[in-house]
Amino acid sequence: MVLREFFNKDVVALDLEGETKDDILKELISLLALDDKSEGILFKMLKRRENLGSTGIGRGIAIPHCRSLVVNRLRVAFGRKTSGVDFKAIDNEPVHYFFLIVAPPLEVSNQYLPVLGKIAQFAKETDVPDRLADIETPEDFLKLLEEKAV
Amino acid sequence: MAALHNQLEILLQIQDLKAQRGELAESTGERKVQEEEFHLNVDEAVHTLDEKITELEEQLKPDVRSRYQRISRGLKRVVVPAIGGMCYGCFVSIPTSVASDAAGPGQVQLLHCENCGRFIYVVD
Repeated sequence: MVLREFFNKDVVALDLEGETKDDILKELISLLALDDKSEGILFKMLKRRENLGSTGIGRGIAIPHCRSLVVNRLRVAFGRKTSGVDFKAIDNEPVHYFFLIVAPPLEVSNQYLPVLGKIAQFAKETDVPDRLADIETPEDFLKLLEEKAV
Repeated sequence: MAALHNQLEILLQIQDLKAQRGELAESTGERKVQEEEFHLNVDEAVHTLDEKITELEEQLKPDVRSRYQRISRGLKRVVVPAIGGMCYGCFVSIPTSVASDAAGPGQVQLLHCENCGRFIYVVD
């Protein structure tokens, strides 16, 4: 299993417009193309997870994640906000890169935790923040995932 | 899609929170990831989730709460999807009249499976 399998260009947004944590979460959720009610429920769940402790892991990267019944399979999205947003990250620095992960409570293939771990591993690679800053198209993002083969 | 019934929305949230709580409390893998990657105090987080679950349970109407408590004593999932006319809790077909109520316009009724008793929501 590699991260590239879970992403496609429709779930990549390189110019997020939101200026707040909530706005960013909503924009990321919108990439999943759920109905309005499901988006609302998912937003509440992600907020509750953030209230337990920020998913901003430092170096400009956050991985908001939760399990929810509003999805029937593991869903992911990536967003970039070049100017950065205060996400209460552990290093107190603005966050520029956001990986959203949502999975149903019961998964046959049990991919949620491995995918969460792989994204965290990907984010730790020293050149990743700079590489994410440089990508120009969603295809570039997908190529980066392929290159890293995480 | 018809609007979700308010009580169904609460039930869905409770179930999502219980899933989250269960993983944090019971999965060593989840605990490890949350502690190491996100520096989360897992015990504190579980306590916070318990409080939120209790708060949401108190928002259930008495009849809904009663069914919810009865089901949750014996079954892990209290709310399940109904797909293709079948309850995905017990995999028994739901009556056509129930399915059509759920699929109709406007706010859906709060429905339950006549076989297993779980609350159901219809997925197209």
